[in-house]
Amino acid sequence: MKTTIAFLTILFAAQSYAATPAEMAIQQATANVAKQPDHAPYYNSLAMAYARRARETSDVAYYAKAEETLTKSFAITPDNFEGLKIKTWLQLGRHEFANALETATKLNKISPDDLSVYGYLVDANVELGNYDAAVTAAQWMLDLRPGNTAGLVRAGYLRELHGNLTGALEVMQMADDSTGLSQTEDRAWLFTQMAHLELLAGDVAKAENYATTALSVFPDYHYALAQLAQVRIAQTRYADAVTLLAKRYAAAPHAENLYALAEAQALAGQKEEAAVSFQKFEGQSLAETNLTDNSNHELIFYYVDHAGNADRALEVARREVARRHDVFTLDAYAWALAASGDYKAADAQIQKALAVGVRDPKVLFHAGSIAMHLAEMPTALRARN
Amino acid sequence: MKVRQTLLRAALAIGTATFAFSTHPAMAASHREAPITALDQKADITDWFAFVSPEHPDRVIMILNVDPFLEPSNGPNYFPFDPNVLYEMKVDNNHDGVPDVTFQFRFKTEIRNPGVFTGFVGNLAGIPAITALDGVGSEGLGLRQTYSVTMVTKSGSQVLSDDQNLFAVPSNVGPRTMPQYAQLRQKGIYTLYNGVRVFAGTVADPFFIDLGGFFDSLNMRKSATAPVLSAAIDGDDKNNYAPNALAGFNVNTIAIEVPITMLTSDGATHAVGEAAAVIGTYGTTSRRRQSVLGEGRGEAGTWAQVQRLGNPLINEAIIGTGSKDRFSMDDPINDKQFANFVLNPLAGQILASLGVPVPAAPRVDLLPLVQYIAPICPGCKPSDAGPIADLLRLNTGIQPTQPAFQKRLGFIAGDQAGWPNGRRPNDDVLDIALRAVGGILADPAKYGTPLGDGVNVSSSALQPTFPFLAPAYSGRDSVHQGPGQAGCALQPSGICPAN
Repeated sequence: MKTTIAFLTILFAAQSYAATPAEMAIQQATANVAKQPDHAPYYNSLAMAYARRARETSDVAYYAKAEETLTKSFAITPDNFEGLKIKTWLQLGRHEFANALETATKLNKISPDDLSVYGYLVDANVELGNYDAAVTAAQWMLDLRPGNTAGLVRAGYLRELHGNLTGALEVMQMADDSTGLSQTEDRAWLFTQMAHLELLAGDVAKAENYATTALSVFPDYHYALAQLAQVRIAQTRYADAVTLLAKRYAAAPHAENLYALAEAQALAGQKEEAAVSFQKFEGQSLAETNLTDNSNHELIFYYVDHAGNADRALEVARREVARRHDVFTLDAYAWALAASGDYKAADAQIQKALAVGVRDPKVLFHAGSIAMHLAEMPTALRARN
Repeated sequence: MKVRQTLLRAALAIGTATFAFSTHPAMAASHREAPITALDQKADITDWFAFVSPEHPDRVIMILNVDPFLEPSNGPNYFPFDPNVLYEMKVDNNHDGVPDVTFQFRFKTEIRNPGVFTGFVGNLAGIPAITALDGVGSEGLGLRQTYSVTMVTKSGSQVLSDDQNLFAVPSNVGPRTMPQYAQLRQKGIYTLYNGVRVFAGTVADPFFIDLGGFFDSLNMRKSATAPVLSAAIDGDDKNNYAPNALAGFNVNTIAIEVPITMLTSDGATHAVGEAAAVIGTYGTTSRRRQSVLGEGRGEAGTWAQVQRLGNPLINEAIIGTGSKDRFSMDDPINDKQFANFVLNPLAGQILASLGVPVPAAPRVDLLPLVQYIAPICPGCKPSDAGPIADLLRLNTGIQPTQPAFQKRLGFIAGDQAGWPNGRRPNDDVLDIALRAVGGILADPAKYGTPLGDGVNVSSSALQPTFPFLAPAYSGRDSVHQGPGQAGCALQPSGICPAN
């Protein structure tokens, strides 16, 4: 009996400490580096494993480790191709989209058959708002390797941005079908995206199902916590949303995550807590507003929707729109313009976003409000429908 | 740096086992040259030919060979074309690198004897020998393919095979099943609209090369160092001095004979010195694509090109392994991105390292392969050169050479009707390509080293008439020819070799 209990204890302990895919990759790469410390590809594998762990945990310390490891790789083999790919990935992580595009374009010229480089071209172009170029690069991914998961995921996001939610769900499902069961974080990520898409499509029950599945596959997954919170808001379960978003902010203490929490607190009627959160958010966000890696979208909406400060909103928006013209930046800029009373200019910006086909409810709400102010009721109704 | 939603979209691309793609080395000249085509045999173009017909000098022959290394005995299904592949022949006639005339071929498969375990049977169990593609004598054709031919021009598309059934000719199963195979295959030649003739089916692969020697890092049979031929071997257009790796293998072919007037920009024939006489051709295979934005959205067409072939050996011997798939799938009009591979080919640097005199880069002497200029287009002004594009250029004003007088080294040996002016099945493209890379187009006296592999002729007897390629090797009675592989029938005793 005693032996059995001891065995069960060990079993449970082993289960609770089961390594995540990124942790296993870090272990493997670390062992390889120890065995052969002058081999650049092992450092690349380790750098990438750290970057994956950063995604799993939202802990930025892993990015520093990734960059440090990459430096060692380049010290051994300067400008090695795989290392430069990871560099591009880190540039995307720092939101240096123009730099990432430049690096990816160079890599694509060196090896135009490399699929992941097309992925970076898609990502950088999407974030900059160059949607046609993004679609072209994504099409190369699907043409070069029909059905590859990285390409399907890109197609899914592009379909979402172009308003094809059913098609987006279809390719995300295909991506999940071809992702190994042991890739728990990848699968949780895909489920989180599908929850997001179902919510956009208005199916709250399915969205809830996907979000909870994501959390069961990868417990406490920070992205899934936030997604389930969005479901709870749709269900008007605001207090539950606050709990989830507080947990997410504790795990990933970034300004934009605090903004989401503050908004949920306001919805839940927790006025004092919301005020504290908003104030803290403003400080945190302002501290990074001039960096590429910022929370300027949230800061703009904060100034418009909660602080009543259109001038500050417009100032931040102008800075951001000078860097990128993706639909969400255009939306934020339009909303700041509207708040400052320039509805005509606001309309011009939001129309650019709508022309892509985006069906995000926040963007549509802004478009509808702007149109109403311009007394273009048919447009307003169309946008709201 | 934070870990944000946008970042996570990128993150799925890397680090997952799902995304670790292996790259396969190039396998064989014109056969399986790009990693993708090595994995998609049915869509793999082995050779592309275009020449003025020696049979009818007012017509052009284009031949698209696909599906490499078909072992003739490989039943029970043998070698159908892929109904999911769109096979196309494309012609640029106004020198802009973009196709103006396209011929499309689409196949359908019909299972006629669903209860029989093999696709072809004859002279057995009451089923007569297969002597026809349709009707009496075709009962044993249990697996049969039909195809359609469509011509696409700027003014629209027209089905050329409107009112008749076109049957693809099956492989030669053996003498019991198909006792008169040569006659059977003649029945697969069809005349369509405006005298256009077509043939599709399995044939003996006309290509000839010592693949083993070439890809074992130029470990040729007749010379210890560089692939240089002796004068005696070089001068022999009738015999082989090294094993032809393609001997005994079949390949699937689509051949078309088209009046020149259907291909030129003004619908007329032109003399050799007129720019309009020169067309640029290539063949492609495509599969249905998954569109990024979804069906009917965005600008992506329905088809994704899997492979293209213009000049032989460009992708396999010139383009770097990290670019081969993109090259296969991109259009010739975008070939500027690969220009450096042509202007400073690695193969040229390798030859130089072996002591062969080679011109210095940039190799502008190779531009006639990728632009409309002399000597293939003597009538082209600099403004006619067009973009860098890998097209097999054919001067339709150059008279064809009758088969008996064709020279294996084609254009560079004074037989102007051969590659790189178009390409005929008899052209020894490896030897010509090696010499072109060696610089013979720049200065034959200075850079005319007699490079080659010692395989000088095709192992299949090429025919004097359409479709020119030899009938498929017999599944029962054919042999391959590899080092130490003489085959039973070639043994004086008739006893098969022990291994």
